[in-house]
Amino acid sequence: MRLVRSEFLKIRTTNVWWLFALGAVGLLVVAFAINALNMHFGVLQPPVEAGQNMDPEQAAVLSALAEPVALTSYMVTSGQYFGLMFVMLLGIITVTNEFHHQTATTTFLATPHRTSVIVAKAVAGGVFGIVLWLVTTAVTVPATAIFLDAEGITPALGDGEVIRAVLLNGLAYALWALIGIGIGVLIRSQIGATITAMVVYTVGTAAVSIIVNVLTAWLNWEWLANVQWAMPSLASSLMTSGTSLPGQPDYWVGALVLVGWAVVTGLVGTLLTRSRDVS
Amino acid sequence: MTATGAMVTEIAMAGLATTTHTVRMGNVITDGEIVVSGLTKHYKQVKAVDGLSFAIKPGRVTGFLGPNGAGKTTTLRMILNLVSPTAGTATIGGSRYADLAEPLRAVGAVLEASSAHKGRTGRNHLRVICAAAGLPASRADEAMELVGLTPAAKRKFKGYSLGMRQRLGIAAAMLGDPRVLILDEPANGLDPEGIRWMRDLLQKLAGEGRTILVSSHLLSEMELLADDVVIIAAGRLVAQGAVADVIGNAGSAGTVRVRTPHPDTLLEALAGVASSRDDGALVLTGVTAEQVGDAALRAGVAIHGLVTERPDLERVFLDLTAGKEAIR
Repeated sequence: MRLVRSEFLKIRTTNVWWLFALGAVGLLVVAFAINALNMHFGVLQPPVEAGQNMDPEQAAVLSALAEPVALTSYMVTSGQYFGLMFVMLLGIITVTNEFHHQTATTTFLATPHRTSVIVAKAVAGGVFGIVLWLVTTAVTVPATAIFLDAEGITPALGDGEVIRAVLLNGLAYALWALIGIGIGVLIRSQIGATITAMVVYTVGTAAVSIIVNVLTAWLNWEWLANVQWAMPSLASSLMTSGTSLPGQPDYWVGALVLVGWAVVTGLVGTLLTRSRDVS
Repeated sequence: MTATGAMVTEIAMAGLATTTHTVRMGNVITDGEIVVSGLTKHYKQVKAVDGLSFAIKPGRVTGFLGPNGAGKTTTLRMILNLVSPTAGTATIGGSRYADLAEPLRAVGAVLEASSAHKGRTGRNHLRVICAAAGLPASRADEAMELVGLTPAAKRKFKGYSLGMRQRLGIAAAMLGDPRVLILDEPANGLDPEGIRWMRDLLQKLAGEGRTILVSSHLLSEMELLADDVVIIAAGRLVAQGAVADVIGNAGSAGTVRVRTPHPDTLLEALAGVASSRDDGALVLTGVTAEQVGDAALRAGVAIHGLVTERPDLERVFLDLTAGKEAIR
């Protein structure tokens, strides 16, 4: 417990946490606006000509998205993409700071049991993620209600599947801290770790998605399309999608994939930290 | 070298004797003896530390000496569970560092000067450690006061000078009021006033019965500071014991340098004393200054200069570590 307090103090006594929180909330506003425009022009009031040359599969996805439950889940979990990235970056920095500023020695002198140090970092990072999720949700819930009202749709905020999506969104915010910690242990250089993680998170996610879709269309292997859900970022959005959309696995597949990633990165990080010489 | 070997065994046995009547409660140390036995660290190419054994007694300042690359830092890090040994053990008060219930209350360590987050204030750096060690946050202010950093407590670490960083490191080590203090090259970056301050502090702490182990390559400073020395080279023990004993055992005995207008007459009066001439002076071995003075008076020879020359730690150190390559 005192280790967790120490880790919180580490986060609190530098500028990183509020810069990240500010960035995440700022990008949340942008993300919500983009999602709202997307829904308005793409799903709820699509231009007439768009409907004519759309293949039936795509039309099915759109009409499924137009259901109040799917729509509400989609809007209320806005900002996830950037929010998760900031939580991951914070996780990375809690570890790489120790090497960058050579404080690993001090930390492990105070606590020779290194597993506890990683656990404490995971708890502190997870709590940061959950606080960010709370703030995000406190913004998106009223914003979603106002937006859907304006579109003439009754927001399904009390629906069980929406609540599930919101809660799972919180889990994603917490777990991404652990993924960040694992990355930080693997790549000890602060700049190296943050840049690698951000490139993989943004460009990598899009690249895998495109490659998989191209291969699927080219080889005509339907099952291949499901490979992209193994990416932790796509798994996170899958698990908060509320209702299952056509052509997508169920939400729990996303949850399992994400938990799997967090467990693997956390374990690898812990084992490496335990065996490594600190010099 | 045989004499040194015997001394090592003697101290190791003394260590054994004290551990038998040391009271240990759940690995809380009541005795601050550091015992290193057969400690070895092999990296891919290099045997950084090679079967090192020594014991450090409480209530004394022990200097840990060796040329650069001799394995001093690796040894200290193995004692503190930061580097895992290939073989051998290191205990503090009978416990391995990792088994200590409250490590910071037992052992304080200063390993590198620049070890704090640049954007964190000095006081917050100490508070983070207090939180991890379960110490009250007020200890941070007390430790700041102890090292004279109170005026800079709220300043960020990046604004600290090298000397201030070194003081902050010592403050961090003193947070838990430990019985054992381990310092790696603490004099680096300190100005003469700072070095004097540290010497006084360490000697005071040793006087309170604490174990103080200080690595350094500043030999003249060590001669002023240390009661005992452990000298290593190329990862192996070269000499260990009280400073005076190590110098005495090193084989190069003291000499007397005398200037006189009649050296031959004086030598006759000192029949049988080994002598050599150096820069117009006689260098005599195996006599005291008193004997030379008395002999000169009896022979009626004038003395223009009479100096006793004792070998210092630096001379002994260079003799002992000569031929042991620093870069391996």
